[in-house]
Amino acid sequence: MTIVPGKTEARRRLQPDRSGVLRQIWQHRADYAYVLPAIAVMLIVIAYPIYYTVELSFFKTPPGLQLRDKTFIGFDNYTTILTSDVFWKVTWNTVVWTLGSTFFSFVLGFGAALALHRDFIGRGVLRAILIIPWVISAVAASYIWKWIYHSDFGIIGAVLVGLGLADRPPNFIDNVSTVLPSLIVVNIWREFPFAMIMMMAGLQTVPEQLLSAAKVDGASAWQRFWHVTFPHLGNVSTVTILLLAVANFNSFIIPWIMTGGGPSNASHIWITHIYELAFGRQRWGVASAYSVLLFLMLMVLGYFYVRALAGNDRKEGSA
Amino acid sequence: MSMIVATAPRDQTRRRMHVDGWRWAGRIFLVFMLLYTALPMIWMLITSIKSGFAAMQFPPQWWPDEPTLASYKKLLDPQNSVGRDFLRFFWNSLLVATATTILSVIVAVPAAYAFSRFTFPGRNLLFFAVLLRNMFPAVIFLVPLFILMRAIGLVNTHGSLVLTYLTFGLPLAIWLLKGFYDNIPVQLEQAARIDGATRFQAFILIVMPLSTPGIIATAIYSFIGAWNEYIYAYTFLSKNDQLTLPVGIQRFFSENTTDFPGLMAASFMMSVPVVVLFLVLQRYFVRALTEGAVKH
Repeated sequence: MTIVPGKTEARRRLQPDRSGVLRQIWQHRADYAYVLPAIAVMLIVIAYPIYYTVELSFFKTPPGLQLRDKTFIGFDNYTTILTSDVFWKVTWNTVVWTLGSTFFSFVLGFGAALALHRDFIGRGVLRAILIIPWVISAVAASYIWKWIYHSDFGIIGAVLVGLGLADRPPNFIDNVSTVLPSLIVVNIWREFPFAMIMMMAGLQTVPEQLLSAAKVDGASAWQRFWHVTFPHLGNVSTVTILLLAVANFNSFIIPWIMTGGGPSNASHIWITHIYELAFGRQRWGVASAYSVLLFLMLMVLGYFYVRALAGNDRKEGSA
Repeated sequence: MSMIVATAPRDQTRRRMHVDGWRWAGRIFLVFMLLYTALPMIWMLITSIKSGFAAMQFPPQWWPDEPTLASYKKLLDPQNSVGRDFLRFFWNSLLVATATTILSVIVAVPAAYAFSRFTFPGRNLLFFAVLLRNMFPAVIFLVPLFILMRAIGLVNTHGSLVLTYLTFGLPLAIWLLKGFYDNIPVQLEQAARIDGATRFQAFILIVMPLSTPGIIATAIYSFIGAWNEYIYAYTFLSKNDQLTLPVGIQRFFSENTTDFPGLMAASFMMSVPVVVLFLVLQRYFVRALTEGAVKH
């Protein structure tokens, strides 16, 4: 866990004080009692697994979860992964999945937040309906959409045939070229409400006086949006996009339930692929090496994530 | 949209004359979003009141010729093996989600309070470590956690789920609650301290009541998270009578691949508790989620 910004910041804060870190820690010993339960749980369930995964990634492991007769093989697992075709295919799928889901969820959510900003009759009801997909279980959502996409009795296929746009119901999720976009539509369905909630709250912080002033100065609706509203939402947009990106990168349930990664790996993303390697084919060593690579990639994302959240935190401190 | 709204002329006649393109675009967009959101859920409900035969028709019956509640009756009937399983899964989910919720609040409240109020060495480091946890996917933790759970004898118990859910729920819970504590003026506590209360008394008597909305929100959030969780439950539990709803429904479907009305009815009933909880306590839920990210 290289938490560079946090670490350096804590150090900077401590440096001017020459009385010594230990003494400070001792003086604040009571404060730690409040955090201790949370940290203890975290350490058991997080630090240990991370250590174990890194260790396992250097071993060749027999199938079965006893893991007794593992042999050290250095970086072999890593070379196996990086030279396989599946790796690059799955990586590309993950990029498409993450970027596509994040972009459309944010745009649709932001649009809905803007459209819901003005008060009108039924606004509360409409907002509640739009948020429901985010609350219901992803398993339920996957089955609902699986039924909607069904190749024989699916409603979308029936509508397309009814309108004369297709001769027979198209097969959305058993088709290599349409499966990933179809799953992304389901994911956006579940994710956009989150962006909507965040952006609605962000919109409330835009000062009305500025907007009125801009209006008096003759700014058009678009100019007021682009020069007043939008700059004010920079921070909340960053946080929202990052949270969405992390959540999408880590998603598992929708592809797993709807297709299990198929057909021919067309809808496998990193997480589902790791799961299949570990629990489907019992290749624990390779799966662990995959997980370590995933860590490293998440670290890059995490750097921006922590920076955005920290920036937010600092701003609030000075406000 | 928003600026049009904020500065729209109050005068009714002018407003009517000046119906501009942006507002119409907003309305059309909202109708589109409503259809996108609601149609799948409506189709789930319509399918759930069809007979198995009626669901398997092309073109589909837009509204069932003979609506029936048979699927619901079957799922809720304890005499029937399907119903017995479903009710058991439901009960298991309820048990795990409730235990997780209570423990989350107990652990998160003091931690969030400390992060909000105290400055102790390593505070930022710990806080970001807590947040970073949120970034890592469940799959990474599965194998080591499974081995850990086996070592401490929790495999195939609900305890393994509660412990795991606690950790993945905690970061967000702490973050949400910290936002609430940040917005409670320190002066209130200071006044209580001057009047002779200890820090702990001030916390219990002043801060806790003021942060009730935050605690409610955190509780709902934990509950919904635990209720909907799938991966850990799928991996840690193998005995049929211990499964939680998401895994149970998956198992049900893999055995009855064509019973779509039953599947839709089960999906609907699985969604009812969380949706109702959310609708009733919506205010807190939405507020808490944004409190951490958006500072006023």
